[in-house]
Amino acid sequence: MFKWRKLGRVFTPQEVQGRSWLKEFAQAPATLIFERFVRVYFSCRPPADENGQYVSYCAYVDLDRADPFRILEVSARPILELGGLGEFDEFGTYPVSVARDGDEVRAYYGGWTRCESVPFNVAIGYATSRDGGRTFVKHGRGPVLSYSPEEPFVLSGPKIRRFAGTWYLWYIAGRKWKLVEGRAEPVYKIRMASSEDGIHWRKVNRDLIESRVEQDEAQASPDVFYRDGKYHMFFCYRYSSHYRGRENGYRVGYASSEDMLHWARDDSKAGIDVSEEGWDSEMISYPHVFELDGDTYLAYLGNQVGRYGFGLARLEGGLA
Amino acid sequence: MRWKKLGKIFDPTQFALPNDCLQFAQSPQALLFDDFVRIYFSTRSTDRTNGKYLSHVAFVDMRKNLREVIGVCAHAAIELGALGCFDEHGIFPMNVLRHGSVIYGYTCGWSRRVSVSVETAIGLALSDDDGISFRRIGDGPVLAASLHEPCLVGDPFVRRYGDAFHMWYIFGTGWRKFTHDSAPDRTYKIGHAVSHDGVEWTKEEARQIVADRLGPDESQALPSVVEIDGRYHMFFCYRQSYDFRRNRTRGYRIGHAWSDDLSNWTRDDDRPGIDVTEGGWDSDMMCYPHAFACDGNVYLLYNGNEFGRYGFGLAVLE
Repeated sequence: MFKWRKLGRVFTPQEVQGRSWLKEFAQAPATLIFERFVRVYFSCRPPADENGQYVSYCAYVDLDRADPFRILEVSARPILELGGLGEFDEFGTYPVSVARDGDEVRAYYGGWTRCESVPFNVAIGYATSRDGGRTFVKHGRGPVLSYSPEEPFVLSGPKIRRFAGTWYLWYIAGRKWKLVEGRAEPVYKIRMASSEDGIHWRKVNRDLIESRVEQDEAQASPDVFYRDGKYHMFFCYRYSSHYRGRENGYRVGYASSEDMLHWARDDSKAGIDVSEEGWDSEMISYPHVFELDGDTYLAYLGNQVGRYGFGLARLEGGLA
Repeated sequence: MRWKKLGKIFDPTQFALPNDCLQFAQSPQALLFDDFVRIYFSTRSTDRTNGKYLSHVAFVDMRKNLREVIGVCAHAAIELGALGCFDEHGIFPMNVLRHGSVIYGYTCGWSRRVSVSVETAIGLALSDDDGISFRRIGDGPVLAASLHEPCLVGDPFVRRYGDAFHMWYIFGTGWRKFTHDSAPDRTYKIGHAVSHDGVEWTKEEARQIVADRLGPDESQALPSVVEIDGRYHMFFCYRQSYDFRRNRTRGYRIGHAWSDDLSNWTRDDDRPGIDVTEGGWDSDMMCYPHAFACDGNVYLLYNGNEFGRYGFGLAVLE
């Protein structure tokens, strides 16, 4: 199995000053490595409005490459604007995943709208940056990946990767809204699509990861990398109800594949779990693996799905 | 060519409709049988949870003279979508098409939003019992918002020409509050997509195929295409984007365009033209046209005042 050594929390949004739109949450970390720093993108929120409703913005924090626990800069503004009236991303941009493409940086993000019978819907948007990932321009006012007969709602959690010149998008698609004590809770599963240009996508149209804890297990954050001849995926999963506490909350799972299409799940290899106490004692979620100067790191969220920031763990020993 | 109005032919308040629907017979769409015509329409029930409308697809069977009613359906032709699905709060309209022994039903599904009233997308449902009941191919849509069609993809009309399925539909160009105290209103235009199987579609992606008559704030809806003497004719409806519900000078009228190649369309609302009739059931607006050929005639089904609250009428091409 993997052996991750927790290094602690690296970014706490409550400690950031002077940004009205960044008060709480630093969700779904995603990295871009620069010469002197590691840029970690995340999604954050201003305080809730008078109805208790949040919007979500994407931002970044630059960590010193020599000492990732040293913060060099926090983005002065959100990297993306919210969408206009009635558009798919009017109420939130969460999460975001980035990849370099020549001089540009591509971003794929979940755009949030508010619905009447269920609280929200999500589709995946696309934007690019020409200033090294500081600001992004959307390619259109609509989504680049949206609903289809077998993926009816909640297309979210994009993770963009490129292997052998082809773009791959791992994401989640809603399966059903489950009524739990009168509240609609989304069940979603990990899916995949591929593309030559990053705009026109072919969906695989099936669940990649078998459900383990229950049929309605929700899966998120399918974070894929290639090493030692196979593809590795860290992701997170939770129960479909009462998942906001320790008992049924998010944990980190693991799967591997030879071909990206067929995955063998083995959570016993994941090698990281909630702590006995502290900021990640109730849940651990939204894993993101990256390499830096010979070390392998895993960024992740703790309690309340990143309300109090994200932390880092470092791989000890080799891969499973 | 000119249209001769034949009057209102169906009044929903005179029939017992499924789901306790009392009013509205919107967007009539014809399916031809050997000895009768089945006309689908969308009618409305009231959502008990909040008093808002739910649109359901029903049908009436008529003799081929399009005067005599044989009967109305006992059950809705398709159930509404599940919780959180694109068609949870209504299906309006549904366009039907024979393909082999199966009837394809292309639905415009409605689901309610918070900052704006609604979002729509296009679904596909199939019937193997001559169109009495339809089963959707999946919980999600076959055509939805995309990069350059940011909202409100709807009003499908599908026909097969050669080996290809052609769909004319509408896409939203955006929502806007036109006056300080009004709710947001939407603007939409007619677009085109093609498919080899009727399931996977390629849009022309935000190409508006019919020119505006009222300028950029013209909303165009419900395209319907029929072939007449070797030329394709499209009938649709159009209106101003706001203050169109009660102001009869800004409400729906019927537009027309023609094409010889299914791609380039020339707008020509006056040939053949059709307009409101003073004092009649269609004195304030005309909307949701559906053109079809039957027994050597070309007919136009359409709605009149109040978006079809009291039924639909018919015109014949002379």
